[in-house]
Amino acid sequence: MRNKYIENFEAAQVASKSIPEFRAGDTLRLAVTIKEGEKTRVQNYEGVCIAKRGQGTGQTIIVRKIGANGVGIERIFPVYTDSISEITVLRRGRVRRAKLFYLRDLAGKKARIKELRK
Amino acid sequence: MEYIVEKIGMSRTITVPSSPVTLLKLKEVKVCEVNDGVAIVSYNDGKKSNKAVEGQQKKYSLSAEFNRFATMTVANTEAGDLDLAPLAEAKIIKSSFITKGRGFTGVVKRWNFGGGPGSHGHRFHRTGGSIGNAEWPGRVQKGRKMAGQHGNSLNTVKNEIISFDAENGVVVVKGAVSGPNGALGRIKVVK
Repeated sequence: MRNKYIENFEAAQVASKSIPEFRAGDTLRLAVTIKEGEKTRVQNYEGVCIAKRGQGTGQTIIVRKIGANGVGIERIFPVYTDSISEITVLRRGRVRRAKLFYLRDLAGKKARIKELRK
Repeated sequence: MEYIVEKIGMSRTITVPSSPVTLLKLKEVKVCEVNDGVAIVSYNDGKKSNKAVEGQQKKYSLSAEFNRFATMTVANTEAGDLDLAPLAEAKIIKSSFITKGRGFTGVVKRWNFGGGPGSHGHRFHRTGGSIGNAEWPGRVQKGRKMAGQHGNSLNTVKNEIISFDAENGVVVVKGAVSGPNGALGRIKVVK
């Protein structure tokens, strides 16, 4: 259990954020604000969430996607940060673990995740 | 103006860039006697009590939980509850805490000496090495860095105040302060 004063402090910051419920295996689209000199723009980053760790304002997710030439890209984002304006869940995956690091060793058809059917 | 605080723990903000913050809880402090802005104050820490403490409690008509006494600068002009007004306007504070004690520590940890290779026939692992010259000057220079007690000493750092919650008595400062969570320390208003 965390200290109630720390929880209050973090809850006050997180209160204005609406983050959808998701877990490892889900495909996400993150709207990331990028600052280039004077200009700011929003870039979408789309990939599979392979891990979720931490709690409160320190909670982070690892999002993996396959970039150009089949190169795997993993980015770590804090879930509650002002630079992410929106998180959208595109697809729910059927997976049996909380951390999907095994995906790093798989490529092509093996690296697919089945869609969760209820 | 000084205040007695307890270190609660650390967190972070969600701003860009994010900053690490430390939460400090104000201790309930009673001002017993003021003399030129410097006061004798009383606060609670544990259950310690003896005749000397009881005598002081009787003298200043304090309840039984106020069992510790200290001197510090206050904004009050007379005895009573501590005046929190200077803290509400403060931007920069100095936080003084006792650092975590590390006991008798070698030079690698205490002074960041490089140390030597671990293997391949070396005998110079984590020792301090040479501590000076030869027959001249025939003594070790003062201030030579050697192994010894590390930590458990008073350390003061400057912190920016992020927010102050007067209702709960929680001060949120930017950066870290020394010591373990739950440790008592003092903060001093600088600006």
